[in-house]
Amino acid sequence: MPEKPIQGEKRVFMTGNEVVARAAVAAEAEIMYGYPITPQNEIMHYWTRMLPKYGLRFLQTEDELSAGFTTTGGVLAGRRAFTATAGPGNTLMQEPLSMAEAMRLPVVVIVQQRGGPSTATVIYSQQEVTMTTLGGNGEGLRVVYSTATHQDLYDYTIKAFNTAWKYRFPTFVLGDGYQAKMRESLTMYDPALRGIAMVPTEPYVGRAGMPGVDREPTLLRNTYNVEEELFEVLEQYIADYDKVAPEIAEYDAFATEDAELTVISHGVVSRACKEAVKELREDGYKVGYFRPITLRPLPVDQLRDVAGQAKQLLVVESANGQLDRLIKEAIYGSTAEMLSMFKPGVGITTEEVVARVKEIKDPARSDKLRVLH
Amino acid sequence: MKIIGPRVVEAYVGEYASGKSEVAVNRAVDLAAIGRRVTLVDLDIVEPCYTLRPIKRELQQEGINVLAWETKDTIGLGEAGNVLRAENRWALRRSGDIVLDIGYGVEGAKTLNLLEGAGTDPDLKIYVVINIARPVTGSVMDIVDYIRELGKVHGIINNSHLGEDTDVDIVQQGALMVEAAARQLQLPVVATTAITKIAALIGPVDMAGHPVKKLNRYMPRTFW
Repeated sequence: MPEKPIQGEKRVFMTGNEVVARAAVAAEAEIMYGYPITPQNEIMHYWTRMLPKYGLRFLQTEDELSAGFTTTGGVLAGRRAFTATAGPGNTLMQEPLSMAEAMRLPVVVIVQQRGGPSTATVIYSQQEVTMTTLGGNGEGLRVVYSTATHQDLYDYTIKAFNTAWKYRFPTFVLGDGYQAKMRESLTMYDPALRGIAMVPTEPYVGRAGMPGVDREPTLLRNTYNVEEELFEVLEQYIADYDKVAPEIAEYDAFATEDAELTVISHGVVSRACKEAVKELREDGYKVGYFRPITLRPLPVDQLRDVAGQAKQLLVVESANGQLDRLIKEAIYGSTAEMLSMFKPGVGITTEEVVARVKEIKDPARSDKLRVLH
Repeated sequence: MKIIGPRVVEAYVGEYASGKSEVAVNRAVDLAAIGRRVTLVDLDIVEPCYTLRPIKRELQQEGINVLAWETKDTIGLGEAGNVLRAENRWALRRSGDIVLDIGYGVEGAKTLNLLEGAGTDPDLKIYVVINIARPVTGSVMDIVDYIRELGKVHGIINNSHLGEDTDVDIVQQGALMVEAAARQLQLPVVATTAITKIAALIGPVDMAGHPVKKLNRYMPRTFW
């Protein structure tokens, strides 16, 4: 029996990619499938470095299509399996992940977003929101956690395996190139010590007993003969998804109760927004902070509350409105004014968010400042 | 006036987030500050997300000759492969002090093989930078295994830290663990390095008797 990868708790310092690899080990993941792409490569590097010590397995495939399909294969065999990708690799993975949706396979995918479209940059963006939440030819029957810190990467990588296996929807951890590469401290822990029990896995294929005699036959389908057949299955899937969505949805918020303007952001950008809202509050601005942690499903009720409270919503993201579209759909009917700060493929700082809010709140003063500059 | 003395030729190797680049940059700055002629060479061709490029000009103003790509000279950074600059390949043939900042891990350490004269330079010292807050080098046994994997190493630097959350405790713990590992490996511990504030709290030597050197933070400004 290999030693436990993490005993008790430990304060550590490392890159986000290594955090993911270590969290996967702590979550008792058994196998990773993958194809290299920056900025997620070190997830594979660190996973493979830990293989011999903890008796884990790894398969490098010929591309992301194969990486996605072999991950679904691992899951069909009852393995706690995962893969990691980014950018154009994420695009390719939408096909196998659509199959995972069709078969309700608890595949876990880590995405470290890079610039797009296409190869663009290897560095950073939040431009994979639309694709990760709603990609593939289907209905987006999946769960997407958007992380902001290394602690999040650790916590939600572990959680992703449990969400996937509990609800049987493919589950994504949506990070980005900044989180992948930056160094930060966090607390690593043995999930059991925090009362987190890993949801047991089970094989979909090759079960014991004679099908139809000892047990129900396993029927795994991603293809149907007629529209009605498909419709019946999807109706059930969608009902299942809608039922568990409020249980799965997570968010972080503060100062929204009396806010006139609430800043909405996700992932690493929410760190800048959080600081900006704190600063603006100190300066007397009535601003609030809201961060959906799950982008799919969204915390719809809480978003609608926030939209009902604030007169203005400012959506801040390193994409050209990918989060904004999701928010607008969720709060449809709200009369809050929608404002934006979109910087596709570029990082956003606290100072920039503060300046944007001040520009909205005191346009005259901002104009004056501009003249002074 | 340039000081005439033995040539300093040092290569810094280590894990991601060990702090090897920070230690290398500080070493170059310190050498330049006492009037020595220093060339600092960016040899991270593993994956250059933290590189010397963004602080190249700043370091040049401190009198250091920096051999590193300019962003404008690269295409498809990190994706299209990384080419060793011709100047960097011949860096060891330069006169004056040479500080080499090497890419991470074993693959990084192999970069040294690409340098002309790396196998024969009599002055070349390879120092491995260790941070015990990194799980890969989180125990004495892990440190020993890690350093054995790297190939030829002349000394160890304890750079244990937790980024913004660094305290005296982690540095001192690091000193003791690195000392224990160094004994097993029969290697000297060259120094303990820590940010100025922490170094001041520890004093001139750490718990294990290693000299403590102050680090100014340059690397937070160097992301991509």
